Amino acid sequence: MARKMLIDGELSQPNAEEAHYDFDLFVIGAGSGGVRAARFSANYGAKVGICELPFHPISSEVIGGIGGTCVIRGCVPKKILVYAATYGGELEDARNFGWELNEKIDFNWKKLLHKKTEEIVRLNGIYKRLLTNAGVKTFEGEGKVVGPNEVEVTQLDGTKLSFTAKHILIATGSRSHRPSIPGQELAITSDEALSLEELPKHAVILGGGYIAVEFASIWKGMGLNVDLCFRRELPLRGFDDEMRAVVARNLEGRGINLHPGTNLTQLIKTENGIKAITDQGEELTTDVVLLATGRAPNTKRLNLEAVGVKLDETGAVKVDEYSRTNIPSIWAVGDVTNRMNLTPVALMEATCFAKTVFGGKPTKPDYKDVPVAVFSIPPLSVVGLSEEQAVDEANSDISVFTSTFNPMKNTISGRQEKTVMKLVVEAETDKVIGASMCGPDAPEIIQGIAVAVKCGATKEQFDSTVGIHPSAAEEFVTMRSVTRRIPAGSKPKPNNP
Amino acid sequence: MATSLTFTTPKLTNSFSSPSLRTLYSKLSIPLSLSLTLSSSSFSYSSHFLSDPRTLTCLPLHRRRPLSLYRDRRRGFASARADSENGAETARHYEFDLFTIGAGSGGVRASRYAANSGASVAICELPFSTISSETTGGVGGTCVLRGCVPKKLLVYASKFSHEFEESHGFGWKYEAEPKHDWNTLMANKNAELQRLTGIYKNILKNAGVTLIEGRGKIMDPHTVDVDGKLYSARHILVSVGGRPFIPEIPGSEYAIDSDAALDLPSKPTKIAIVGGGYIALEFAGIFNGLTSSVHVFIRQKKVLRGFDEEIRDFVEEQMSLRGIEFHTEESPQAIIKSADGSLSLKTNKGTVEGFSHVMFATGRRPNTKNLGLETVGVKMTENGAIEVDEYSRTSVPSIWAVGDVTDRLNLTPVALMEGMALTKTLFQNEPTKPDYRDVPSAVFSQPPIGQVGLTEEQAIQEYGDVDIFTANFRPLKATLSGLPDRIFMKLVVCAKTNKVLGLHMCGDDSPEIVQGFAVAVKAGLTKADFDATVGIHPTAAEELVTMRTPTRKIRKTSEGKTDREAKAAAGV
Repeated sequence: MARKMLIDGELSQPNAEEAHYDFDLFVIGAGSGGVRAARFSANYGAKVGICELPFHPISSEVIGGIGGTCVIRGCVPKKILVYAATYGGELEDARNFGWELNEKIDFNWKKLLHKKTEEIVRLNGIYKRLLTNAGVKTFEGEGKVVGPNEVEVTQLDGTKLSFTAKHILIATGSRSHRPSIPGQELAITSDEALSLEELPKHAVILGGGYIAVEFASIWKGMGLNVDLCFRRELPLRGFDDEMRAVVARNLEGRGINLHPGTNLTQLIKTENGIKAITDQGEELTTDVVLLATGRAPNTKRLNLEAVGVKLDETGAVKVDEYSRTNIPSIWAVGDVTNRMNLTPVALMEATCFAKTVFGGKPTKPDYKDVPVAVFSIPPLSVVGLSEEQAVDEANSDISVFTSTFNPMKNTISGRQEKTVMKLVVEAETDKVIGASMCGPDAPEIIQGIAVAVKCGATKEQFDSTVGIHPSAAEEFVTMRSVTRRIPAGSKPKPNNP
Repeated sequence: MATSLTFTTPKLTNSFSSPSLRTLYSKLSIPLSLSLTLSSSSFSYSSHFLSDPRTLTCLPLHRRRPLSLYRDRRRGFASARADSENGAETARHYEFDLFTIGAGSGGVRASRYAANSGASVAICELPFSTISSETTGGVGGTCVLRGCVPKKLLVYASKFSHEFEESHGFGWKYEAEPKHDWNTLMANKNAELQRLTGIYKNILKNAGVTLIEGRGKIMDPHTVDVDGKLYSARHILVSVGGRPFIPEIPGSEYAIDSDAALDLPSKPTKIAIVGGGYIALEFAGIFNGLTSSVHVFIRQKKVLRGFDEEIRDFVEEQMSLRGIEFHTEESPQAIIKSADGSLSLKTNKGTVEGFSHVMFATGRRPNTKNLGLETVGVKMTENGAIEVDEYSRTSVPSIWAVGDVTDRLNLTPVALMEGMALTKTLFQNEPTKPDYRDVPSAVFSQPPIGQVGLTEEQAIQEYGDVDIFTANFRPLKATLSGLPDRIFMKLVVCAKTNKVLGLHMCGDDSPEIVQGFAVAVKAGLTKADFDATVGIHPTAAEELVTMRTPTRKIRKTSEGKTDREAKAAAGV
């Protein structure tokens, strides 16, 4: 594959062949991955076109916007709401520090919504300019693949544009998926939840993934009554079990009603809201039901079948390690490939794509030790392997170091919430193969730890680093005694929920 | 106050270097012969290292744990030596294997771990008080009672006002603006300090360390006097820390120091803070956040001597934007108390009136007076700091010193490192030098600073060719809050090896962010390693792994002139 890439890269140098195509690259979808690929390819000298649906905070088959999920309906607006919600807890914490707060504190959702939209529109504009400045030609409309080297863009007024391109990149991302529950049309997804007209008083959330957990925290911080229903015993499947339990405890501690082992079976419209019926026989009366049960790749209207691009059973575009589909001139990056659905990973895939195709340097994205964060309140952040994965995968004994402590701020505020940190170490090599933390600032703290873990730093190297006092992060370099050692070949804990 | 470096102490007159290794290594040059011995033969080293003078009288008391028992456990240096002597000479018996004077961070750490290693240990400390003096102190020491901990608690308290302001931009509204009650804060803070001093006492007790309340004084190389009672010890550890220093000027009796500032009976309405070091900046942030009017007077042009130049400019600008008034190149000459009780500060440039408080944050001095050090011949520097070798040993072989009293790198985690290394050296048969390379530190100003490794200026001096990557941006939170908060970050990279030599940051969460990166810098990782790490989105910290284009490349030309090649960002 590598050799082929190289030849391909050479061919794409501006030469006689270029004349045959309107573009060296045409990108469908201007989200994180698409914009990055378009810009970087253009910087390598490629002639690049990109198309994207018209802008709107709520996505559909015909609506999107330059910036994509991350900027318009994901990371950015979500983080803004998390910031807003965090003040709810801060106000409680302030009192024991001597602050006298009037009982009447008002949270104005509409003002926040307005400011959030303003910021997103600003960012949408910045992304547009980034493309223009890189010399990328932008088209507004719905893109379709017509042939291995041909795309068609249906503009707003219905006119169709047709282009030939040496390479086509699919970067159309994904959308919230709705489970087929009777009455599901009464519910909303994360798109709408980020842009609700009115702030509800009571919300029921279905789902145990990071989106469900983040919205539970956001709404609780804004003063809502929140019920969180998820099928497993603990939320956040795939994360370290111990950390999952910590998150569950913290959500509960902040006043969120957890319903583990629970699914919604029906939603019924009532006079003053929605009645959500669970498979445990509960009836939850609520203003809003959020379905956060996963996302599905946006591949339906791309006409991919016509050219024979293979999809997997979830509808994701199948690609090789260089993000190439089974059709050599068609590539795909980001959520539409359903590999690791994170903005920085889409950026990495896009950067590698541009290098491979136009930079003459075949490059595979590296998925090892990609750090992630869940912006619950308090947040969770991890890098590397969970304890269960480590036990499963490692050939040597595993040493686990944990630290559970009361953050200094809580000693005065009186908040009953522990911060938990964990290092998973391969005993034979002393390498730190996993780090996780749940507590304030966890995502900011883990980023630097991720550099060390990614580069194979040993526990001894962690220990030889002096702490920054007083910080929470210093615990990561002062974990002296091993909490437990798991012999090689042990089965992972059987009660993995 | 050991959370950062004592920049305001007069010892740092060196125009180039910060607190760091340069000064440190020059100060630690004494024990070169010792390490040579070590490299030639570990046996000869250890016997040399442990040669106890045995000409002195002792008190043959067996208080807690007889030495014979200790020797039988075959642990540590002392036992190894005793074994090697094979009873040829009656070993001198001491009441304790280690007597520690001063139960702060370094003293407690060394004592606990010495006891855990099987040594019999006693520690003495002055009675508890929030204000330190010749007769008051408290178990926990500066960090817990008059430094890091109470300081950080007040930083938390004062930061809320900024958060209230931010929260407006996120839709929060208060019917009446939040007011701060100083007494509630002081009461809750002091309750926490009492709790912590209790915890420290328990830690010592649980480790089997004998705690003696009182003032320790060295009588001879193996004898300590605590309020008239004598104790004999094989080793004596001096870990008495430092105290704030106020220069003598007319009216200096009206000034308060950081001890007092952490425990004032009432909140200042308007305060003058003299000094440009980390303590001055931290208190400026605290009182500003708690809505006092704050004026900072610094002798130099800039705050935080020794820090990266861009960080110095950036933090001063951000603090000014939050309402703190800086008076640069102004030295205090007198404090005048007027009839209404208010204070005026007279400087070389004029007089500013109407202060309720004048605080001096003009450095700290080692607590080495009246310890009997001169009598037994322990050498001290001109600042009054105890001179030690790389193993924290003083000029008297049985007397050791760790922490601020040695004025090496005055930080709690460094004192802990020194205390730990000492335990290994003395009682675990593992001579260990503390490693001062790439020690990260923080300033809890508002916004705070975190840093590790070399400043740009130091790196140029040391390596010549360096690439500088910077980011100066408005964080997501500020775009919504509308406040002028920004974040500044810098990576200093060796052009030849690609190693990240230094990392500096000023902005929200800097101390928390820098800790993990400190592991990477300490491990000698390269810029390419940083780049290979995927970001966590959306965070501030991800900027540190996504800096693609150098802001400038600095190259030493053949004439030895530094050439700053400014390169426009490629916009990718």
